[in-house]
Parts: sequence; C-alpha cells; structure tokens
Amino acid sequence: MSVPGGGDLAIETRGLRKTYRSARGRSVGVEGLDLQVPVGGVHGFLGPNGSGKTTTIRMLLGLVRPDRGTATIFGHEVPRRLPEVVGRVGAIVESPKFFPAFSARRNLRLLADAIGAPTGRVDAVIDEVGLTGRSKDRYKGYSLGMKQRLAIAATLLKDPDLLIFDEPTNGLDPAGIREIRQTMRGLADQGKTVLVSSHILAEVEQIADTVSIVARGRLVAAGRVADLVGAGSAARSVRLRVAAPDLTIATSVLETGGLLVRREHDALVVDGAADAAQVNRALGERGVWVHELTPLQADLESVFLGLTAHETPGGHTHKGGRTKRGGPPPEPAHAAAQAPISEGEA
Amino acid sequence: MSRLLRVELRRLWARQITRWACVGVLALAAISGLAVYLSAPPPSAQEVANAQEMFAADQEAWETDGEQQVASCEADAEAEGRTPEEWGCDQMAPRLEYYLPPTQTFVPDATQQELMFGAEEVDADDDATAAAVEEIRGSVWNGWAGLASLDDVAVLLVLVALVVGVSFVTAEINSGSLGMWLTFEPRRQRVYWAKAAAAALGTVPLVLVGFALLVAASYAVYASFGTLGGLTGAVWLEVAAFTGRLVAAGAALAAVGVALGVLFKHAAAAVGVVGVVAWGSLVFGFGLGELQRWLPTTALTAWLQGGSVFSTERCTPSADGVFECLPVDHVVTTTQGGLTLLAVTAVLTLLAALVFRRRDVS
Repeated sequence: MSVPGGGDLAIETRGLRKTYRSARGRSVGVEGLDLQVPVGGVHGFLGPNGSGKTTTIRMLLGLVRPDRGTATIFGHEVPRRLPEVVGRVGAIVESPKFFPAFSARRNLRLLADAIGAPTGRVDAVIDEVGLTGRSKDRYKGYSLGMKQRLAIAATLLKDPDLLIFDEPTNGLDPAGIREIRQTMRGLADQGKTVLVSSHILAEVEQIADTVSIVARGRLVAAGRVADLVGAGSAARSVRLRVAAPDLTIATSVLETGGLLVRREHDALVVDGAADAAQVNRALGERGVWVHELTPLQADLESVFLGLTAHETPGGHTHKGGRTKRGGPPPEPAHAAAQAPISEGEA
Repeated sequence: MSRLLRVELRRLWARQITRWACVGVLALAAISGLAVYLSAPPPSAQEVANAQEMFAADQEAWETDGEQQVASCEADAEAEGRTPEEWGCDQMAPRLEYYLPPTQTFVPDATQQELMFGAEEVDADDDATAAAVEEIRGSVWNGWAGLASLDDVAVLLVLVALVVGVSFVTAEINSGSLGMWLTFEPRRQRVYWAKAAAAALGTVPLVLVGFALLVAASYAVYASFGTLGGLTGAVWLEVAAFTGRLVAAGAALAAVGVALGVLFKHAAAAVGVVGVVAWGSLVFGFGLGELQRWLPTTALTAWLQGGSVFSTERCTPSADGVFECLPVDHVVTTTQGGLTLLAVTAVLTLLAALVFRRRDVS
C-alpha cells in the first residue's frame, strides 16, 4: 500500500512476526505483516478466524511481544514508546473484560483514575453509550451488548484519536450490531481513526473507508473498499435469463464465444464478458432472446473469499522450520491486490 | 503515593475477598475470645477447697514419715551415684501449688508451665546458644496460654494477607481485565510494583486491626477472670514489637502472594504451593538437619516470636559400637529469620516482576 507523499499513518507495521510455542511445535500467528492504516476514517482489518488479526492488535497494544518486525502508532514505535502514545489510543481486544464484581461505574472510575481523567468524564462516557440507568449494576450481570457498550465507554475515557475494535459485534443481536456500527462510523466522522477487525464482511463493507485483508498472518490485499471491489469487478460477470428451452443453446453459443458460463437455478452467469452488450449481441445473432440481463457487481465478500479461499483457520504449525503442510508459507497476493490510498483520500 | 498505587489500593479494598477477609478476621477474634473464655477460667472455690484439703492431708502424712522418705531418696541417689538434689530429694515435701488446678494467665507463667510440663532441657553446644535457647523459651510467646496462644492465631492473619495478595492478581489475570488495564497503563514494571505495593500496604490495616482485636479479646477475658498475670510495661512493649513484626510479615507475605499469583496465574496453584511448602516443612523439616534454619516456616516463627529453636540429632558410636543419638538445639535469631523472609520475598518478587514484564497477556 503506498501513501503518496509519505502521508500520515495512524498505524504502520513492517515485517511483523509472532509465533507461539506449544507441545505440537511452533504455531505462526502473524507472518511478516506489513500493515498501513491511514489517519482518519474507518479501516477494516479483515481475515478468516485465526488469520492473525487479534495477535496483530495485541502486538500494537504491547500485550504480546513480536518476534520480529516493527510497528508504529502515530509514528511512535511500539511497544517501546507505547507509553508516549497510549493516551491517544482506545482499544477493545476481543470480548470486553472488566472486573466482574465491580459496577460499570467503579470499573470506569478505576481506569479513569489510572490515567488521571476527571471524574466527570466517567459520567459523560457512561451517558454517551446509554448506560446511565445501569451504571451501578455489577458488570457480571450485564448482557453482551451492555458489556460491549461499556467497553466502548472505556475507550472513550481518553478521548482517543485512534480506536481499535477487535470483533466488536461478536455475539450481538442485529440491533446491537447496528448500534455498534453507527457508533464506529460516528467516531470516524468526528475525525478519529477507527480500526475494526472482523470476519463479517457485510458489517465492514457498510462502514469502512479502507480495508486490509490478511490470511495466515500475511497481508493479501489492502486499499479503499471501492477500489478493491472495483478490482474484483474488472472481469465483468453477467446474469441472464432466457426461455427454458434456450438454456442449452445459450450456453453453447456463449462458450463458443470464449466466455465462462455456469448455471444458477434457472439463470446463467457469464464470466469474462467485456460488458452486457457483448452477451446480448452474441445471443441475439443466434436468435436467442434474453428476458433479463443483469451486470453483477462484485462485493467485498467475493473479493475476500477469492483472496482467502485456500486459507485454513487457526494459523499454521512449523516444525524444524518447515510448514506442517511440508512447504514454506505461500507468497502473499497483495502485490496484485493492493489499491493505493492517497493522502487525504481515506 | 503514585496515582497507580492509589488506584490499586482502592481496588484492593473494594474487592469482595478483602471484605470477606475483614469479616473472617472479626470472626477469628470473636472465636479466639470465646475459646479463652471457655478454656481459661480460674479454679472455682470448690476446686481450691478440694486442693487445700488434699494438701493438708498429705502435709500431715509428710510430717509423720517425711524424714524417712527423704532418707530413702538420698540412699537411692547415692546408689546411682547422683546427688540428692539431682535426684529431687529436696523437692519431695508437699506444696500447695502442686495440688491447685493450673491457672492460665494473660501473661504466661513460667512456673505454672514447669509444673505442668516439667522443665525443658537445653541441649546446646555452647553457653551462648544455651542462653539464647533459654531466652527464647522463656519468652511470653512460648508458653501454653494467654499471649503465647495468640502467636499461633496471628500466623493465620499473615496467611490471610498472602491469600488476599494471590487473589488480587489472579482474579485480574483470569478475568482478562489485566489486558484492559495494560491498554491504559502499558508500563508493566510500574503496574507490577503498584500491585505488589498495594497488596503489601493494603493488608497492613487488616493484620494490624486483626491482631489488636485478638489481643483485646484475650485481655478482656483474662481481666474479667482477674488472671492477667505479671502484666508489666515490658510485656506491652513486647506485644507492640510483636505487632510490628507481624505487620511487616503480613506485608511481605502479601507481596509474596502477588508474586506467586503472577508466576502461577491461578489462585489455587499459588496457595497450593504455599500449603505444600508449609506442610512439607512441618512434616519433613526435622529430616533436613541444620538446613531447617533456612525453611520459610522456621524463619517466620523466628521473626514473629523473637527467635526460634530447632533440634537436630548428633549420633556418635559408643564404646560397644552402637550409635547413640542425642538432640542438639540450634537457634535462629529474629534478625536471621527476618533476613530469610526478606530474601524469599525479594527473590520471588523480582522473578515475578521479570515474568510480568516479558509475558504475553491474553
């Protein structure tokens, strides 16, 4: 991912690597990850389960020590200089974790006191996430949605410039998911940078300005959502319907024309056409009349699945310096899949 | 006081286990007072009258044949090659205190103890050690009642401090809230030292008030019985000194609890290790010979009670080739005990601080 003019980055990692030792050998969590998150907007951090998203976030926050590579937040190398920048970062890693026997207010008061935030700030953030009426209840009695909201309140205690949300909608009902989504978008609209990791594509596609896609601990694609989706749509796909008796003829005509055709129920999907007109013309010339012709727009999900289709979750295990599958990790596809993010665009 | 330490202290005192520990300490003081009340009443007038009656009867018999009994004793002593004093011939005359039921007092009475259990022999290699052994055994903390029974209960207070320290960090590790905490304060060394200091300082009131309640309950009961014993200013000074040492031990063990909690991550494992070490020391300690000196249990006893005596066996072959084993007393002074405790605390704390700094947090 290029940043013309060396534009401001909220997060940057270079060659970040983390392995975990276990009785079964060495498991690779993150393998040489190069990640760039521009300042401002929502950046989706996508990948299948076990692709290294949470490990990367933990390394950024100093919770996990990288084996190799560097990471910076707002230009400060982390974890070495994390204390200098931690006041600008609010984060929720995986599920919210507070002291279960304490009330929401007490939990936040402790955190606020630890960073010297004024007491009034606690009330303000509790109010901001809509927990005022339940703030004296014990945390362990909270629903998942309330816990998530409390975690967001905790991140807001610092009034941070960068917010990191790791799978923030896990376990939430549709209303909760929407609420969290709106919150993240709202924070970005206030000028903050939001990094949201997720494996739920639809969720990210709706709010993210830019994304990075990782698989097996490596970056496989990065760029603006629109560019990635556009790249995925470069080779046009068209769905068409013809009269049932013509299905076989239409398939034959199109395949003869060098197009890829597959059957989808009572329709045909054609890949590789320059445009819909080419398909329509080819069929019309052979007397096959099209009832319906729809250009298919690639979505983030199809891009994601295309890039990560061959990846298995749970990382991969090395023994004696080789992958468990018997070969080195595959080369990342990011060179082909990257779309530039220009300064100020995100 | 740093901001982080203040926050950790507030968290410590807001925790349920700390509050339960306070309730437990109150209950301990109440039960201890009740136990003293039930076990230490002075002899009743009827018991004293019975004792006096028996004493009078024996005195009368002694006046009749006492000289004959002494003569017989002296003859036996001479036959065994001992002096009459060594054979106890000068102690044969009836004395009223032999007949009166033993009276427990707030300040342990050495005479009463000797009457009940006999004089403890000192088996030391040199005079200095022998003097130290006698001084330790003569301490108010080494009797059989009153203050001497409080030191055993006081050990429970430092164990409570240790458990509070263990729980303070393991709860945070197991709930995952440590990760959230570190996203607010990533300087791990500061975080660790604040936790250790909070546990050490935060348990001081618990131990201090707990022991004060124990002493007060015991004092009140003995005072109501009129059996305070030889309570002098020096005794109160010794109580104050003991309290100071107890509070210091409680703070050290709370810090040890934090260290063990960080190292083992689970409260049961950390407390279990302490239990195994304590149990092993008590059961198998004697087999360690002179190494007993370095056991944490010996060090804690020495630090609290103003010194500790332990015994080893020295076996030598006799003329007929049979090994004869004799006990040898050794002394661990207060200072030695304190330094050992300090060393254990420092090593565990530094190790835990290092692990806390390096370990990945889930």
